[in-house]
Amino acid sequence: MKAPFSDFLASRADGLKKLVSLLERNYSYVSLLATDSPGFALAASRKVKSVSWKTMTTERGCVVRVYRDGQYSEVAFNMYDPEKPEEIRDRIEAALEEQRSLLAELGIKPYETPMLPDEPETLFVEMETGRLPEKEDIAGLISSLSDISAKGIAEGASDGSPILECQVRAQSTHISKMFLTKNRDLRQSYVYSEGTVACVGVRDDQNKMSYEGISGRVGPELFDDLGALLPKTQEVLADVLSAEKPEPGEYDVITAPDVTGLIAHEAFGHGVEMDMFVKKRALGADYIGKRVGSSHVTMHEGALCDDSVTGYAFDDEGTLAGDTVEIEKGILKTGICDALSALRLSAKPTGNGKRENFEHKVYTRMTNTLFDSGEDTLEDMIASIKSGYLLRGSNSGMEDPKHWGIQCIVERGYEIKDGALTGKVISPVVMTGYVPDLLGSISMVSGDRGVYGNGGCGKGYKEWVKVADGGPYLKARARLG
Amino acid sequence: MDNKSYIEEIKEILTSSGADAWEITDTRETGWEFYFIRHALDQNRVRLVEHVRVKVYKELGDKEFLGSSSGEIPAGASRDEIASFVDGLLKNASYVKNAYYRLNQPEAGEKEENAPAPDVRAISRDFISAIREVPETESEDINSCELFITDVTTRFLNSEGIDVTNRYPSSMAEVVVNARKEGAEIELYRNYTSGECDAAALKDNLKRTMQTGRDKLMAAQTPNFGKMDVIFSTDAAVAIYQYFEDQMNASFKVHGFSRCEIGKSVLGEGDVPLTMTAVRTLPNSSKNTAYDPEGAPIRDTVLIEDGVAKNFLGSRQFSQYLGLAHSFIPGNIRVSGGTFSEEEIRSGRYLEIVEFSDFQVDAMSGDIAGEIRLAYYHDGSQVSIYSGGSVTGNMSEAGAHMRMSLEKRQYDTYEIPALTRLANLTIAGTQ
Repeated sequence: MKAPFSDFLASRADGLKKLVSLLERNYSYVSLLATDSPGFALAASRKVKSVSWKTMTTERGCVVRVYRDGQYSEVAFNMYDPEKPEEIRDRIEAALEEQRSLLAELGIKPYETPMLPDEPETLFVEMETGRLPEKEDIAGLISSLSDISAKGIAEGASDGSPILECQVRAQSTHISKMFLTKNRDLRQSYVYSEGTVACVGVRDDQNKMSYEGISGRVGPELFDDLGALLPKTQEVLADVLSAEKPEPGEYDVITAPDVTGLIAHEAFGHGVEMDMFVKKRALGADYIGKRVGSSHVTMHEGALCDDSVTGYAFDDEGTLAGDTVEIEKGILKTGICDALSALRLSAKPTGNGKRENFEHKVYTRMTNTLFDSGEDTLEDMIASIKSGYLLRGSNSGMEDPKHWGIQCIVERGYEIKDGALTGKVISPVVMTGYVPDLLGSISMVSGDRGVYGNGGCGKGYKEWVKVADGGPYLKARARLG
Repeated sequence: MDNKSYIEEIKEILTSSGADAWEITDTRETGWEFYFIRHALDQNRVRLVEHVRVKVYKELGDKEFLGSSSGEIPAGASRDEIASFVDGLLKNASYVKNAYYRLNQPEAGEKEENAPAPDVRAISRDFISAIREVPETESEDINSCELFITDVTTRFLNSEGIDVTNRYPSSMAEVVVNARKEGAEIELYRNYTSGECDAAALKDNLKRTMQTGRDKLMAAQTPNFGKMDVIFSTDAAVAIYQYFEDQMNASFKVHGFSRCEIGKSVLGEGDVPLTMTAVRTLPNSSKNTAYDPEGAPIRDTVLIEDGVAKNFLGSRQFSQYLGLAHSFIPGNIRVSGGTFSEEEIRSGRYLEIVEFSDFQVDAMSGDIAGEIRLAYYHDGSQVSIYSGGSVTGNMSEAGAHMRMSLEKRQYDTYEIPALTRLANLTIAGTQ
């Protein structure tokens, strides 16, 4: 079925178009993004169950962007009378004039930027979904989540160790967005969902957690298979409970697709967000056309790259979604760009202008960040290593576009000796290094690929958006601690 | 419709919905935002928003269980749409069987007397002026900054008769500083949160950040130190104390993640006089409210005293599961009990890490992890500057021999020892 575009937004479209038109009398460029995205989040654990109509991306509101005298300004609002666009216009103009008076008082000058183009475009996209979150059988789903949780606790980890807690989560959001200017009317609707199973066990008075997730640009039908995550989560818990601390040093490693995704995200995801080029905060700007990885490295970025949680049709500035080749056979080709940064850099926007929600500013943000697959097999990769680790489970990472440092906290490493897994596990593993060294050391790439869309991505320590990342197994050289 | 009658309408709908209990949280925000690239204005923004969140409760099985469901009333919803939304919540609440608990009851809190309404224009002026007054040089300057100044009004009502309002300023300044030398340029990221603008503290911190930048340009690759005592002298140390706060959280205890017991040491075999208190106010904190988000009055309450667990705190659901009489969700935390002078803390051989890409103490496992971006190695007589590599360890081992300075420092909602020393962490170098 098609995910239907919001009736609410459709009913407000004429009034909001009128608002755009009214604002154009005082501003050279006006755009408006309106959102209406309901969704649910369910959780079940040993002692508590919860149902909420709130996810990371549920929202309803509007943001207006205006341009005058080289300066861009925005006003976000959500309470308004659609029958009185003049009243909204007055509120917006009064709020911005108050700010302008302060800026004038302090002698602040704008970062001069050309006016955005407003090429005519009409788009109406309703993407496929199996079911809708608004119509989901909540009773059935919470019961299913509770059963999975109870089963996990009853069975314990795969080695029989008791499970202290087993939390099962399911969330699904129906996104509807409408982007309006004088010449553009873009509307899209899609549903994405994500589910997780997390188990906690204790050994030597220390809690250890395992976690597995599924996600995609699909409806709540995704949760029909949620129970299949439990055995893997139980197995991983047994692994981390028996894990030893890593011996710091440099090792040959194989990164599983989720860890590969973390590297893609932290290394050349954040590293080529071109709003950072404008601020001269990214080394990547000086490396376009130069080698940044081995010839095994090809990386794509774009909402069109995968039907993931961030597989939209247009971004939050009304730029159509893209598929950008960032690195081709080790050579950095280009970055990703929001519309204002594109103007400032004389580049083309790539459909990566995203907001946390209607209240937040647009930044250049990632969508799907993926290493291309190769032709090796995991078995051959393991067989090629004399002493090293197979790294699985992506916990968190931190970008460093200015210095190309990389930090990835990986859940566990499986020891490889003389071309075979020994059964020894280390956890947690902090993988650090210099991005070109890490990417330059990639020597084998598997033929398969995984894409992961659970969790969110911040810019610095804020501005959380949905992203997905992944790729194949990679063999590389990395420093572990 | 004005705000008062809008909330009254929602209240009426909830009262007649068949819900056994309900809560409304109405948050109104006027936010001013300024984004600078160097000292030119990238964008200015205004937020004029209101979010009304409701939670409905259904008693199940002769008050043996309580079901609940929550959500935000979609902005712009008509009366019929609100009623339909509440009806949906109520239906969902009946599917959620949690052990019974009561909503908070009306109780007088300690209110600010004549607290002025936040003046976002004046606070914005203070922030912009402070940033512009930071002395820059040819080799150190401000790359960019983002300022967020918000006037927040939160009204909480429930079916038990609570109707309380908190109004307060909440601010954030994100500043990126560059330092350069002989063609090399580095950046340092700072994120300050507070109530209003403390211009003197902001400028002082940024001046120190520029010094840090100069040092980073001289840093060598971190050696493989192996086991090493580490001193934390920046806001990264907050993560260490958050770990202890999490162990005293009622939810953590109910789920079995915390093994703290009232009257017993929270530091295992250690003998550390750590005292942690949830306090209603800290100077210029962004969380100086009289009531918590569930309408419970906030009163200064000791969580840990001289290393011994005194009180768990948390939401009313988990607090009641633990049988806590007076509880709330803490906003501000004061840590005391440090007994060491700076000279004593800085004795012998240690690594002082002042910049991380990210520093984490995992609440669940106690695992410590961070990538080192700048550290000073003190061998007892000389100081060397390093960058790169990582620090790892676990709080269950490191916390037992923690040393805290007498002198304290405040980072928004946390007042903590200015210096914290953890023993025997593992330093993986890059040399």
